Amino acid sequence: MNPQPSRLKQVLVLSTAMLSFISFWKAASVVLCDMGSSAFYAGGIAMNAFGPAFPWYVLAVMVFSGLMLMVYVESCAMFVRGGVYRVVNEAMGHSMAKVSVSALMFDYVLTGPISSISAGLYVSSLLYNLLPAAGIHWQVPPKLFAVIFAVAVTLYFWRENIKGVEESSDKNLKIMIFVSVAGALLMVWALLTVYLRGFRLPPLELRFTREALGWVEHFPWLQTIGLAGVFMAFGHSVLAIGGLETLAQVYREVEDPKIKNLKKAAALIFVFSLVFTGGLTFLASAIIPGDLIAGKYADNLLSGLALELAGPYWARLALQSFVVVSGSLMLVGALNTSLVGANGVLNRVAEDGILHDWFRHLHGKYGTTYRMINMVALIQIAVIILSRGDIYLIGEAYAFGVLWSLTFKTLSLIILRFRDDMPRDWMFPFNLKIGKTYVPIGMCVVMVVLACTVLMNLLTKRVATVSGIAFTAVFFSVFQISEGLNRKKARLYVEEEDPEEKLNTRREADIGAILPELNKPRKILVPVRNPNNLVHLKSVLETADDESTDIIVLAAKIAKGMQLEGESGDITSDEKDLFSSVVLLAEKYGKTVRPMLVFSNDPFYSMAQVGQAAGVDEIVMGVSGAVGAEVQLERLAMAWGMQEKSGSVRPVTAKVVWEGRQLSYKLS
Amino acid sequence: MIRPEEIPLASILQSDYVFFLKGAPSKEETVKLLTDGLYPQVSTLVSARTLYERVTEVEKLNNVLPTGFYIPHAKLAEISQFHAALAVIPEGFLDPKSGITVKAALLLLTPNKPFFFQRHLNMLSKLSRLFQPEFIDSIVSMKNGTQVHEAIGKHE
Repeated sequence: MNPQPSRLKQVLVLSTAMLSFISFWKAASVVLCDMGSSAFYAGGIAMNAFGPAFPWYVLAVMVFSGLMLMVYVESCAMFVRGGVYRVVNEAMGHSMAKVSVSALMFDYVLTGPISSISAGLYVSSLLYNLLPAAGIHWQVPPKLFAVIFAVAVTLYFWRENIKGVEESSDKNLKIMIFVSVAGALLMVWALLTVYLRGFRLPPLELRFTREALGWVEHFPWLQTIGLAGVFMAFGHSVLAIGGLETLAQVYREVEDPKIKNLKKAAALIFVFSLVFTGGLTFLASAIIPGDLIAGKYADNLLSGLALELAGPYWARLALQSFVVVSGSLMLVGALNTSLVGANGVLNRVAEDGILHDWFRHLHGKYGTTYRMINMVALIQIAVIILSRGDIYLIGEAYAFGVLWSLTFKTLSLIILRFRDDMPRDWMFPFNLKIGKTYVPIGMCVVMVVLACTVLMNLLTKRVATVSGIAFTAVFFSVFQISEGLNRKKARLYVEEEDPEEKLNTRREADIGAILPELNKPRKILVPVRNPNNLVHLKSVLETADDESTDIIVLAAKIAKGMQLEGESGDITSDEKDLFSSVVLLAEKYGKTVRPMLVFSNDPFYSMAQVGQAAGVDEIVMGVSGAVGAEVQLERLAMAWGMQEKSGSVRPVTAKVVWEGRQLSYKLS
Repeated sequence: MIRPEEIPLASILQSDYVFFLKGAPSKEETVKLLTDGLYPQVSTLVSARTLYERVTEVEKLNNVLPTGFYIPHAKLAEISQFHAALAVIPEGFLDPKSGITVKAALLLLTPNKPFFFQRHLNMLSKLSRLFQPEFIDSIVSMKNGTQVHEAIGKHE
């Protein structure tokens, strides 16, 4: 007697590929946790650089953020994974991409320290007021406290990232709701104070400190050019839009319809930033005396705003507590975003072979790229300690990374307008159509602003220029050396190594272990085999409702013989290619897929087994060039019947889809 | 259990067309014996050679089921209803491609009309569901086509 058809004894579930997609609210909150957090320190830094005109420039930077958001929307509309590295790589080539990603790493590496130190300074300012009220007369120097606090939270998030705790957009949204309530309360109260006390508009006059002039002090003629001063001040305020790159990172997770939701997220980010960062900074300057902004409240401007409002002290202290708690949550959230973002970018460049494989080693227990996380966290801790809590110093350097990554991004998109005339789903406005090319007049204006600011920043920020160029050069060298080593290794071990994405997989003994995860009312099974033939998956992604449909993407690893007991094996490079294509497609449509690889002796039996075990409503196959659609359906029908439990009469639709055509029948 | 939309196998497979094959014929010999055996049902519509060629053409892409059941089949534009013949092979033959021993093979001819393709799939599904190893073992021990026909009628 022949043995019964084998059950699927090994199922490999691709955990990294089971993306869950998020609403535009959540996407905006992820970006704002990074970008919005600059409201807590940008004003103070700008005030110390060029005096009481700072709110005008912070406001101008926030208006400019709207233009930069539009640049990012065009970039994301072109590339689902449209971060700086990808876009610069496409437009300016590999070497410039390495330079740009080095500058971006400088941005990420400093986001953590500036955010965590700022949070520490806010907490310190609160304790300074609260402890005496509680009868505790114990004072810790604010900067020392901030350094200890920043190191502690960095260590905490370092550990969390090693453990692979996902950055939760739900948590980000809750933080943003909390921050919004605190911000709204602060704003209403501040407006009331302004109404009661009256106010004067901040002056437009720029008063640069010697430190803020940097090398420009050696060029007195430059100081006489008004526009140069404007760009110098703009450059000292531009750190307020740090974190925009997070939009490109989060875009892959935005749910369908992606572009529409991206635009909504961008609009939300813009309005929030303008009102929260721009508005509150403006009100702080109207209410707090200038000497206090430059001194006592330089490191905790919004805390100072709460304390300087009209009303009884206990109420102001309560508001300060509220502001500090919400701000600290947002700022430490930005620290986590920087670790996640840096790790993501390094993984991305490692996939392209420009970071040595040593960095890609996965943690034995948690499966995370712990060496990359270690590297970023250690640099961040070193920066925190070396800065000795001087937020002005880090802020100035931070602007270097922010500005250069924005400049590379914008310049690349301008170049791509001329090099790639494929239709865009969305374009930055103000274009002149010449032939097939939309000449980006609007984007060129943005580029001019960025270029002037970059130039002035190079001249005015000694520490930022030196440290930024040094850091970029070091990272660029690491990428350059890594690439050389990887190339050499690829030549030596061409069959053993591959530069593909390391996919996190989970091995289950049986398909039954996965079934509880498939809990949506409707289920579609999409068998895949060829990364170049995913038309059928595309058709499913185009039409399926993500809320109500589980899309199971199934690849069968064909094992010879009838018995699959103990059959095992790692995922091959072909399978990696296949699943990478599946993930990219799912990201493009913003819909969740459940990719799995089963070990089977026949692909049709595996379809029938998984289909029946999961209770699917539809099986959608791509056409096979070898046998044709009808034979595929016949084989599936036979496999389906052979394994069907008697009495099961649930009709299942079987489809074969290819370009412009499909066959659809019922399996009974 | 016959499902509402299904055609009973017993209504298309007559007991006269259940053949008990002696010895261990090869897969190709079994297909030949079945086409020859079934041919009288369609002799006015298609030549014996054409029938065999159509069946063997499809069989290049067909597989033996792991249950030890084999369904050679073809779609013919010349016919307007299902035709079937069953070979019961007590000693079985070894399918060289899969290493599976086949003890029952059913030749199914389906009208090549779009309307019939759904029924054709239903029939293939039904056949593979019905001919499980236990059922195949039971018909192998039967004496004649009538018993097999009755057993099919009872099981479906």
